[in-house]
Amino acid sequence: MNIENTQSQMRKGILEFCILSIIRRGEAYPSDIVEEMKTANLHILEGTLYPLLTRLKNSNMLTYRWVESNSGPPRKYFSLTENGLSFYKELEATWSELANAVQTLANKTDSMPDTTNQNPSF
Amino acid sequence: MKKIININFHGRVVPIEETAYDILKQYVESLRKHFANEEGRDEIINDIENRFAELFSERLKKGSTCITDDDVNAIIASMGRPEDFDQEEMMSNGGSGAGTGGSREQSNQQQSQQQQYAGPEVKHLYRSENDKVLGGVCAGLANYLRIDPAVVRIIFALVTFGGFGLGFLIYVILWAVLPPKSLATSVRKRLYRNPENKVLGGVASGLAAYFHIEVWVPRLIFSIPLILGIITSIFRNSWFDFDPTPVFVTGGFGGTLFITYIILWIVLPEAVTASEKLEMRGEKVDLESIKNTIKSDLEGFKGRAQVMGTEMKEKAQEFSRDFKQAAQNFSTEAGPVARKAGTGIGHAIGVLFKAFFLFIAGVLAFALIIFLTGMLFAGAGVLPFRVYLLNGFWQNFWGWCTLVFFIAVPVVGLLTWLIRRIISARSRNNYLGYVFGSLWTIGWISFIIFITMMVNNFRTRASVEDEPAFVQPTSGKMIIRMDETKVSYYGSDWFGFNWGNNSSFYSLNEDSVMMTTVRLNLTKSHDSSFHLHRVRFSHGNNPGVAKDLASQIQFDIHQNDSLLHLPQGFAITPAQKFRNQQVLVVMEIPVGKKILVDRNIEDYHWFNIDVNRRHRGWNIDWNDDYNDTYWWEANVTYVMTEKGLERVDKKKNEDGDEGDEENKQPGDGGYRYKKDSDSAKHQVPKTDSMKKKPVNKKQTTVPAADDARKTTSVEENNDDHDFSYAPFYVLSGLNM
Repeated sequence: MNIENTQSQMRKGILEFCILSIIRRGEAYPSDIVEEMKTANLHILEGTLYPLLTRLKNSNMLTYRWVESNSGPPRKYFSLTENGLSFYKELEATWSELANAVQTLANKTDSMPDTTNQNPSF
Repeated sequence: MKKIININFHGRVVPIEETAYDILKQYVESLRKHFANEEGRDEIINDIENRFAELFSERLKKGSTCITDDDVNAIIASMGRPEDFDQEEMMSNGGSGAGTGGSREQSNQQQSQQQQYAGPEVKHLYRSENDKVLGGVCAGLANYLRIDPAVVRIIFALVTFGGFGLGFLIYVILWAVLPPKSLATSVRKRLYRNPENKVLGGVASGLAAYFHIEVWVPRLIFSIPLILGIITSIFRNSWFDFDPTPVFVTGGFGGTLFITYIILWIVLPEAVTASEKLEMRGEKVDLESIKNTIKSDLEGFKGRAQVMGTEMKEKAQEFSRDFKQAAQNFSTEAGPVARKAGTGIGHAIGVLFKAFFLFIAGVLAFALIIFLTGMLFAGAGVLPFRVYLLNGFWQNFWGWCTLVFFIAVPVVGLLTWLIRRIISARSRNNYLGYVFGSLWTIGWISFIIFITMMVNNFRTRASVEDEPAFVQPTSGKMIIRMDETKVSYYGSDWFGFNWGNNSSFYSLNEDSVMMTTVRLNLTKSHDSSFHLHRVRFSHGNNPGVAKDLASQIQFDIHQNDSLLHLPQGFAITPAQKFRNQQVLVVMEIPVGKKILVDRNIEDYHWFNIDVNRRHRGWNIDWNDDYNDTYWWEANVTYVMTEKGLERVDKKKNEDGDEGDEENKQPGDGGYRYKKDSDSAKHQVPKTDSMKKKPVNKKQTTVPAADDARKTTSVEENNDDHDFSYAPFYVLSGLNM
């Protein structure tokens, strides 16, 4: 069991949710999203962001527009569509559920072994 | 010192070191490969390139004269390499699924499938370069259809072997036509045994998880043979006292399922880790799956994949060394040739050759499996017969060992290997090969011991000769026929084979086996009367036993004046054992007398088990004594002459005009049966000579309908004999 892997997996599991929550606040440029996440102490590779954005865009969660830039080629700025907004809301609800659940489980201090918590849910 | 080139990168002129450019090019290519399966591949790559361009111009603005290796590497590091994406990719799917809760159980593929409908882009069919057994056609198809490659492969295999190579043809065509492409595995789904919910091995439960169906469905399907077996055995047991086990173990459909279960049990790995459990479910993503994946052991992934790779290699070498190697050698030669030739004719030819050799290898392997399976079933088929064959505990013991280890083990082993290849199962260790290898060695040993014992059983041969009571027939003609059965023997079809009563040398009933290894020899008599000899043969492990067994044969010949009735066969009991018992009936015919052998005598099946060629035994001596044994044909009247047996009709054709006494007398006897049995006697004489010729001509060309008519007409006259053989009557019938 590799701790780094587990950690990165935990982080990545909520990647889409994080991205949407950043874009929700207004038009965003991919590298800004990466920066934003970095400041929130959530490190991701930029390369993983692009396919995610494209996927979200293709499923009508996001839309984008080209913005001329003086530092290079025109930039793609992404924003949420209505679909995306409702999708985000659903995600948010699930996240709070999940966070609650995890919190509850993590805060428990009694000696029950970990596995017994998992098996009934199968 | 480095060469700097200018490139046009997204509308900007970028001065870049040539090596840096190469790195960049490689990186973009690797991205292209990685996102090959992605819907918006070009867009993603475009975006990334765009970002590169932006970062490049930032750097140039800061005063750099050109883009260096380090620059490119730094950007790539922050972007991440495709290898790094892989893990993230997998997990980001988890994230998307989790967001929507249980209502949207989307895995990566399903999501992009949805996108496929939304997007205008058309998906193309490729051969998969990275997931292939042969040419990657199946994986490509699976990728296109977004299903498990294993399923496509199994379907192809079925179509190939069930449809006379049709599947193979399609495969080769697709192989030649489709362009190769590196495709991401679209379905992360594998068959596992589910250890959490199992009755026996967890096979049904694993299948249920794989196909997302209720557990009871596969369970019920697998238990059908058991249920049926129990039901039928109840019914059977009420009628006969039979062992019900072979019914559901070996019987057609049920047996297939039973064996399938066992094989899947052996072949499928148990889903132990959380990631395997996820794979088993095909990444069905919900709250549990996230919990599971969090616990999953990604480290083990690569390691296991590697272990599997090496194990596969070993297995491949182990099971199909020779022809596989030949095929491999050829394919390695043909492979590069094909690649160099590109998409041209050379490619197609290369593929064809490779396919051809692999096809032959496949057919060989398949034939081997079929042969061994056949042996297995045949072995099982002999089960009810074994009590007659085997003597004592040790022969039984080694017989079973041979059946199980020598024949069943390679079948199961080959199937296991094949299925593991098809589903590319992972396994943690390599014990399977050793287990099968050593089991088969045991099989060979028991096979040799068993065969030695069996040969020993048949080592010596003895015979008992006697002359059954025989009264000279009142007329000059003997008719030999076989009695219809009096004991009920039936085709024993409960183990799937139907031995018809007449199609086999033996048939069974509950406590004995009916042998029909009887032969009838016709020879010339020394004197002027008929003689009948009966010789009974048997094998045994020593002369005493053989002689004893020979004398135990019950083969009673009955005579009814000119009619000689031979029994249908003779029964041997389990106590007597089958030791190739035979009965030879010798009929000595005096010169000038006639003989007719009924066609049902041909139902006897003579065969010889001869394990000791040096001492052929008594049979040879006997044949020397009576070396003028004649070949005869059923349902033809023969007359014995000095030269040997001659057909009566032929003789008449040749010598008919002479009309001598000798000839006429036997000719009369030809119809003696009528004379003997009913009033036809009086109808025969005068017309006899007049009709002789037409009769004989007609006899060879009597139509079948005629047969039937004549038969019925005569039967009315023959109440005292239930002689029911049509052609015989035709002769007499035509004569009237």
